Amino acid sequence: MKTIRQMLLAVLLTALLPPMAFAQLTDASEIVGKANIAAYYAGDDGRSAARMLIMDANGNRQQRQFTLLRQDVEDGGDQRYLVVFSRPADIRGTVFRVEKQVGRDDDRWLYLPALDLVKRIAAGDKRTSFVGSHFFYEDISGRALEEDNHTLIETTDEHYLIESTPKDPDTVEFASFRTWIDRETMLPMRSEYARASGEVYRRMEVTEVETIDGYPTGTEVRMADLDSGGYTITQFRFSEYDIGLPDRIFSERSLRNPPREWLQRN
Amino acid sequence: MRISHGQWARHLGLAALLALPAMAYAQSDDAAAPADPWGEEAWDEEADWGEDPWATESSGWQLYGFLEGATAARIHNDPAVNEDYTLNELRGQLEAERVLGEQTLRVKGDLWADGVEDGLRGDLREANLSGRLSERIDYEIGRQILTWGTGDLVFLNDLFPKDYVSFFSGRDDEYLKAPVDALKLSFFGDVNLDLVWLPRANPNRFITGERLSYFSAEAGRRVAAPPEIDPDDRDDWLDDSEWAMRLYQTIRGTEYAAYAFHGFDKQPSGLDPVSNRPLFPRLSSLGASIRRPIGAGVGNLEAAYYHGQDSAGTDPNRPNDQWRLLAGFEHEAATDLTLGWQYYLEWTQDHDALIANTPSAQRPFAVDEYRHLLTNRITYQMLRQDLTLTLMTFYSPSDQDYYLRPRAQYRFNDRLIGTLGGNLFGGEDDWTFHTQLEDNSNLYARIRYNF
Repeated sequence: MKTIRQMLLAVLLTALLPPMAFAQLTDASEIVGKANIAAYYAGDDGRSAARMLIMDANGNRQQRQFTLLRQDVEDGGDQRYLVVFSRPADIRGTVFRVEKQVGRDDDRWLYLPALDLVKRIAAGDKRTSFVGSHFFYEDISGRALEEDNHTLIETTDEHYLIESTPKDPDTVEFASFRTWIDRETMLPMRSEYARASGEVYRRMEVTEVETIDGYPTGTEVRMADLDSGGYTITQFRFSEYDIGLPDRIFSERSLRNPPREWLQRN
Repeated sequence: MRISHGQWARHLGLAALLALPAMAYAQSDDAAAPADPWGEEAWDEEADWGEDPWATESSGWQLYGFLEGATAARIHNDPAVNEDYTLNELRGQLEAERVLGEQTLRVKGDLWADGVEDGLRGDLREANLSGRLSERIDYEIGRQILTWGTGDLVFLNDLFPKDYVSFFSGRDDEYLKAPVDALKLSFFGDVNLDLVWLPRANPNRFITGERLSYFSAEAGRRVAAPPEIDPDDRDDWLDDSEWAMRLYQTIRGTEYAAYAFHGFDKQPSGLDPVSNRPLFPRLSSLGASIRRPIGAGVGNLEAAYYHGQDSAGTDPNRPNDQWRLLAGFEHEAATDLTLGWQYYLEWTQDHDALIANTPSAQRPFAVDEYRHLLTNRITYQMLRQDLTLTLMTFYSPSDQDYYLRPRAQYRFNDRLIGTLGGNLFGGEDDWTFHTQLEDNSNLYARIRYNF
């Protein structure tokens, strides 16, 4: 009798307690590995419409709108991207193609429609503005995990707090950054980049999360430059995962003639 | 399309430079109107992502365009040209696009009031239908812009027409490529093939002397219109058709391509000895290129053999055959600072025969057997890419001449872009490629309002 009561109590407690999708993790590299998969490798492929609102310190506004196609060659590894711009008018028709290669430089191409020109882009500093926004190229495609040392410095009810320091400090503008990773979704919800003095000068925040096709997805992300006061908000809409993108669309053909059948929202 | 002659157009470019920013700022106030799906009010609303030409099935015509005021002042007095500007214009471009399933219909035209040539001018830049014929075949038919090859402002296997008059006089880079009337078929497989048929020859928009002066070997000095260079046109449909082909594939990050062209020289480089009229000699070319990452940069090699109508080199009125070779390397030297380097060679075959058969008075002006050209491009981006500073330098150690293209481009907002720059030529001998343009050296200002 006593045993049955205990069992019932256990079941009730389990049902009433907040769901814990993951057991508590204690290994920093396992946590950043899972966060990397959650943020950049949801599904085997995906499509999303994105738009950016870029506000500079003086209140001047610019916007960008593009559709993003992504295919994972390997989870946590190489990826293919096609970014097709639709706004503003002078950037419309520009297409950006990336073969992201872990462990070596990405291959990148840019198509400029007015000249019908396919330009190959030299590997460069990935911590520079992505299409004029406050996001860096690396914020969009992900920073390689092995470039930093990661330490778990706190585990709260909601977050793992990870501090990362660069292995090669000369290649980056930050001395360290801290990331708050949601324990349930494993999505990085906030990152703060600090100088050697500890002063935080750059902050990324996920302000909206939706579960799409079973994958928790940051659908609104804000990147702030705390020095100037400027910021960029990126919204993702019409996202879909596991749509079966064929390999062949990640090619020069798609630069000149973007694959409408795969770009179309459903 | 001239509507008048006179002074009225002369100050158009300048007037536009002043008026366009005012228009743009007025417009940005309007942007708050909720009717604009791309406006401020709309930002938070789910429904207001608007029609995206890529992501949604669009209905009807999509319209885009810009207004641009541009002026380019000569920095030298050109004794051959009675004109202080190489460019002075107010230009509008309108583009209409309609998606019909897998096909796209596109029309793009420019209209401008020209203060240098005094009149209203027009240019149809695109009028084409393009799309997918099958899983493995794309097509584009009609007036279009075509580009291929690996050079940066140096073209070997790209024998589609260039508009050097626009390029040298201060217009935007996009005008370097002149449109062609063509049918392009693209086949995709283990090796990809582009096949282009141009039913009549498409020459360069070359320097005729009307806007820019040039060196005349006949006159032995720099000249300008009148008279304009008026070559015997290759404009008979079918009889004067041209073919261009490219085979290409990318294998593990390395881009391989082979090219062929059969048509006519893009410049009126020949002369009819009877009528004494310039002409476009036959030209066929074969070539290849490779482009791949090297170290932290991108390297490219390209070669082409130009076969004309004077293989023995004995006809002074036709250009000799040539090898053309290009080696390039581009890398990011520092954050936001990109450097590009190119070495380019034009190797004229049977050069001895060319000299022996050139009239002695014109011998000093004949091309060297080896024309070497070095280029450097410095690009620096600032203010989150709102400001781009560029300097492109062409220097020929064999011709002892140079061409500098400095440029500063500022993005005020999504609609308004301002550009300041120059086209600066100079060198030792009046008759070399760049020195002959010395008196056309100019500094320009452009302001463009996109809509």
